[in-house]
Amino acid sequence: MSLTPATDIVGTKKSGRPIGLLLVAAPVLLVAWMIIWPIISAIGRTIWLPDEGGTESFSLETYRFFFTDQYSLNNLSVTLWTTGVCALLLVLICLPIALYLRFAKGRLAAYVQGLAIFPMFVPSIILSYAVIRVLGPNGTVDLLLNSVGLPHIRSPYLTPWGPVIGLVWDNIPLTVLILLSGLGNVSNQSIEAARDVGAGRLALLWHIILPRISNSILVAVSFTVLGIFSAFTLPYVLGPAAPEMMGPFMQRTFRDLNDPTSAITQAVITFCFCIVFGLFYVRSVAKNRTT
Amino acid sequence: MSVLDIKNVTKSFSTTKAVDDFTLSVGDGELVCLLGPSGSGKSTLLRMIGGFETPTSGHVAIDGEDVTRVPPEKRPTGMVFQSHALWTHMNVFKNLAFGLKLRRLPEAEIKRKVEAVLELVGLGGFGHRATNQLSGGQQQRVALARSLVLEPKILLLDEPFASLDQHLRERLREEVRDIQQRLKITTLFVTHGQDEALALADRIVVMRDGRTEQADRPDVVYREPATPFVAGFIGTMNLVDGTVANGTFTHSGFAVPLPAGDGAATLAVRPEALEIVSATGAGMAKIHRVTDYGTHAIVDIELPDGTRLKSMTSEARDWSHGQPIDLRPKAFAAYRDNAAIHRSN
Repeated sequence: MSLTPATDIVGTKKSGRPIGLLLVAAPVLLVAWMIIWPIISAIGRTIWLPDEGGTESFSLETYRFFFTDQYSLNNLSVTLWTTGVCALLLVLICLPIALYLRFAKGRLAAYVQGLAIFPMFVPSIILSYAVIRVLGPNGTVDLLLNSVGLPHIRSPYLTPWGPVIGLVWDNIPLTVLILLSGLGNVSNQSIEAARDVGAGRLALLWHIILPRISNSILVAVSFTVLGIFSAFTLPYVLGPAAPEMMGPFMQRTFRDLNDPTSAITQAVITFCFCIVFGLFYVRSVAKNRTT
Repeated sequence: MSVLDIKNVTKSFSTTKAVDDFTLSVGDGELVCLLGPSGSGKSTLLRMIGGFETPTSGHVAIDGEDVTRVPPEKRPTGMVFQSHALWTHMNVFKNLAFGLKLRRLPEAEIKRKVEAVLELVGLGGFGHRATNQLSGGQQQRVALARSLVLEPKILLLDEPFASLDQHLRERLREEVRDIQQRLKITTLFVTHGQDEALALADRIVVMRDGRTEQADRPDVVYREPATPFVAGFIGTMNLVDGTVANGTFTHSGFAVPLPAGDGAATLAVRPEALEIVSATGAGMAKIHRVTDYGTHAIVDIELPDGTRLKSMTSEARDWSHGQPIDLRPKAFAAYRDNAAIHRSN
């Protein structure tokens, strides 16, 4: 009986290389075609503008307009505010949930996990209408307060807090899952070792758990920021008419004002902000790989 | 005077009793090994002493003070875990200094204490190193130093060398013993390695199903095992089930004079105490295999019913496969109903 050499099974380095490159080529080409090219094209269309004679020349006019137009700046600023507040609230809400799920045992923890993941299965449009029905004028909360003789609430619906409530609810599952996966890397024995040397709950959280999951927090924040910055449905349905977040702003500029160049400019600016957080994420992944 | 008193401690996990009505006192500066197979409850017991598990019933007292429900952070114990459990985001110095900082000691004192304990475990000058730059043995030394730097009243070691290779394990075992004797620190050491327990302990507690089978000096546990389980667990032992009738134990042609009442019994003979001699006739047994280890040889013996026994001899060349032999136990013990009924030394 003869044994097949291992090199014949896995392929030699030389013969394996073209197959490996071929396997990678398809997604790389797809990314280049569907993502990289549209980015380059979009940037090109905003800096090569036709003049009155129809001749295209380099111009930063659309950007100059965006950064001098108060309405555009207000929209950018409300988008930044909403994203920042949502990211902060998500960390504050999801970290205790993830800590509970990581360290609690029993059936209740399983129910809490199910509840925390549930928003992932609810489409944004349904969530928007649910928020309106609960928190909107004459919504459930209003009716309940009214029935016991209390005054109407000042509904957050159609204020900047409307999208914040919806976006936070919508992003809880992803944030919890990312934090939970980070907490999975904190071993029980390292927690016990800290307790053994005298660490109470706060010291444990501050000195042992948070430093170990800082990467996961960064990834969670990057993901939520990327999603929220360019969110459309929730800010469109729940947010105020003005100022509006970049998502609805782009759509309205493109469709209602019939100004694709300005809409693309807004998209490029949104992309530039997002890419900063994207780089945070890439850096975090690279750091993890190195470790 | 005892530093640790465990009284009638039981720990149940749903329907299973991990530790069952366990009682033990440990004296000042004593090194006690909790020895037993997996699932015997030794780690659970250690975790109850450390405060990581709360007993279902019973009491744990340290220096006379009841600590049964005191959390680990408030107990005067230091635990070394099997997996080292070092904090990888801190360097060696910070790992050791963490507990001292929580106690709000001045920086200069922290530095002095950490450096002193690093010297003690042979890691002087390693303070700035990242924990993942250390070998397995060095990591375990850091874990030991992290516990020692807080000067605990009781040091708890939960199979600390299980993940290390044999050579390193033996070296660290000696170092731990040296440090323990130098500091005179009361120590409980959990292991399922009998050689580790025999080499380290002042006293061995053999556990089975959450209970004590025997608690005694290592030489006593080895030479006078209280039960057949201890006899079989510590070292290599030939255990033969047979019958005693008219002062003789018999099993398939193997007969030994045994001054005990008639009935079933288990005979326990160490290989080094089982002498083999060439049979004059058919013999009690036959040689099955001879394994030469250079310094000694192990002879596998087969009784007529197929039961295998082991004998240790100094000369392998005297014996060969199939040779008929007679057996002469020089020292043995006999057990009935899980208790010794006779010892011959």
